[in-house]
Amino acid sequence: MPGMGSVTHGKPAAAWLMVMSLALVGQTAFGYPEFQQYVQKSSGRTVNCALCHEHPDGPEGLKPGQIGSLTAEEMDRLNRARAAFQPGQTVDSPILNDFGDAIIRTLGKQQLLLLRQSPEKLPAALGTESDLDQDSIPDADEYVAGTHPLDPNSGQPWRLFLNNLKRFAFHVAMLVAATLFGLYGLNNFLRWFEASAAETTEHGLEDAEAFRRVETVTHEASRRSRSAAEAGP
Amino acid sequence: MSAAERVQKVGRFVAERFPVEKFSFHSLFQKKEVPIHRMSWAYYMGGLALFFFMIQLGTGLMLLFYYQPTVSDAHASVEYITTQVSGGGLIRNLHTWASSAMIFCVLAHIITTFAMKAFEKPREVTWITGVVLLLLTFGFGFTGYLLPWHQIAVNATKVGLQSIEEAGRYLPGALAEVPAQVRVLIQGEAAVGQATLSRFFALHVVVLPLLVFATLGLHVLLVQLHGMSQGVDRPTKKSERFFPLFVLKDFSLWGFVFLVVFVVALCLPFESFFSFPLFQPFDALGSTPEGIKPEWYFFFVYYPLELLPFWLVMLGQGVVVAGLFLTPWIFSGTSRKTLSIIAGAAAFYLVVITVFGQDIYQFFKGE
Repeated sequence: MPGMGSVTHGKPAAAWLMVMSLALVGQTAFGYPEFQQYVQKSSGRTVNCALCHEHPDGPEGLKPGQIGSLTAEEMDRLNRARAAFQPGQTVDSPILNDFGDAIIRTLGKQQLLLLRQSPEKLPAALGTESDLDQDSIPDADEYVAGTHPLDPNSGQPWRLFLNNLKRFAFHVAMLVAATLFGLYGLNNFLRWFEASAAETTEHGLEDAEAFRRVETVTHEASRRSRSAAEAGP
Repeated sequence: MSAAERVQKVGRFVAERFPVEKFSFHSLFQKKEVPIHRMSWAYYMGGLALFFFMIQLGTGLMLLFYYQPTVSDAHASVEYITTQVSGGGLIRNLHTWASSAMIFCVLAHIITTFAMKAFEKPREVTWITGVVLLLLTFGFGFTGYLLPWHQIAVNATKVGLQSIEEAGRYLPGALAEVPAQVRVLIQGEAAVGQATLSRFFALHVVVLPLLVFATLGLHVLLVQLHGMSQGVDRPTKKSERFFPLFVLKDFSLWGFVFLVVFVVALCLPFESFFSFPLFQPFDALGSTPEGIKPEWYFFFVYYPLELLPFWLVMLGQGVVVAGLFLTPWIFSGTSRKTLSIIAGAAAFYLVVITVFGQDIYQFFKGE
């Protein structure tokens, strides 16, 4: 969850900046696992730090998106995010993803720290307006469901299906129409075959062939009688 | 029996299974009849499996234009296909859903074929090619699962390959080394890595499709040569022509099924059924997320492996696979009623273990 990673590695300048900024902000630098634990328990889904952080293993470490890898400019952005105690401040933390930044922007650090005691209240605090991945499921709902608010392919399956069905209603309607027209054509083709050759009979192919022979003989007989009538007495 | 008699016997066997006199358009298409009875719906399952295979070929070919089979780029290329390529997400989702549908249809096809005793003389080779196609389909699933190179793909493949090696513990003498060598042969190196990905990619897009083309060609040819099996004990008097009536009905069903699969692929991402950490890029040095499992169509062997002794499950699987190949001879004298009961039990097991496998596991493990 949005939080401050402990300072363990990094370039000398970055480390110095980090120590200075920590002293300034006066916060101990650790992640907030309470939110993750709540989500896992409530949703039954596995959730990791990538819900809000850049790196799935959280902010501490040397990998991209973790504190140990930050440049001086990124440290500067991190410190500005750390100092955003009040809501409404634009943040662009290098260790948080867009959802993490949105939480800080919406709530401010102060309220977020208070919510650590009751992580179930985070969705109500976030509201239902924000939908960062535009999958028509609010970020707050995705948090409760343990799905990723930045991935349109992650969401409660049934809800995602209904939302996408509405979104692609025209495409689906065209597809249904095309299929129905196709099936209508095939069905008529089928009926024509059935009617013309009497393929499906009570007694199988032999009857069908017998029927065809009788039909041919009858046709031939009628042709002869027509010719005879035309020829006159 | 003299050598000449043996040759004659083999010759008769081959002649009965491959009747060359029926190699004509008239015999293969015009004369072919499809019986009409209460199990007639089962005649469509094979065609449906074929239809899904064709979808797999088409969508797989499209994915091939963008997919990069390297450990550094595989996941990124799949992400690129899903998020950047026009229609890429739909094609990928269609490929995933159709693969599951194909495996479902192949399983349903083999179970109904068994229940209808369609493996009877002279259809033994048709049955065996069907079993080979089932195994090849599972092979497609196993090799394709690794290609996106995300957490669940790599970790599930590791577990799968590890279970091959574990079989060596129960083999005697020099044979004990064979499974480990098979694992290295498949894996290509000490751990699942680039060599494994390259091999799985080659198997998935070249080797298995070629094997399927050959086996499927033979299977369909034999089905046409011998015609549809009677399927029921009392010969039905009703039948319909295969061409064009049955074929047109098949096409109608394909059209409807394509509509359903397309809408599902458009609106319901396959990934939404899983926890999102499972689809993050594989990180050999990072933590392994919880919930690593194979695809649903391997649950029938995965959950027993989790609950029962390894040797018992492997023995059971070996018996089942051998039994499948020998079905035409083992069950030649068995009535359709008994076969239907066995097929029903197999279907029941597959459905229960696939749908409730996790609950059963938790019940017995107390987790």
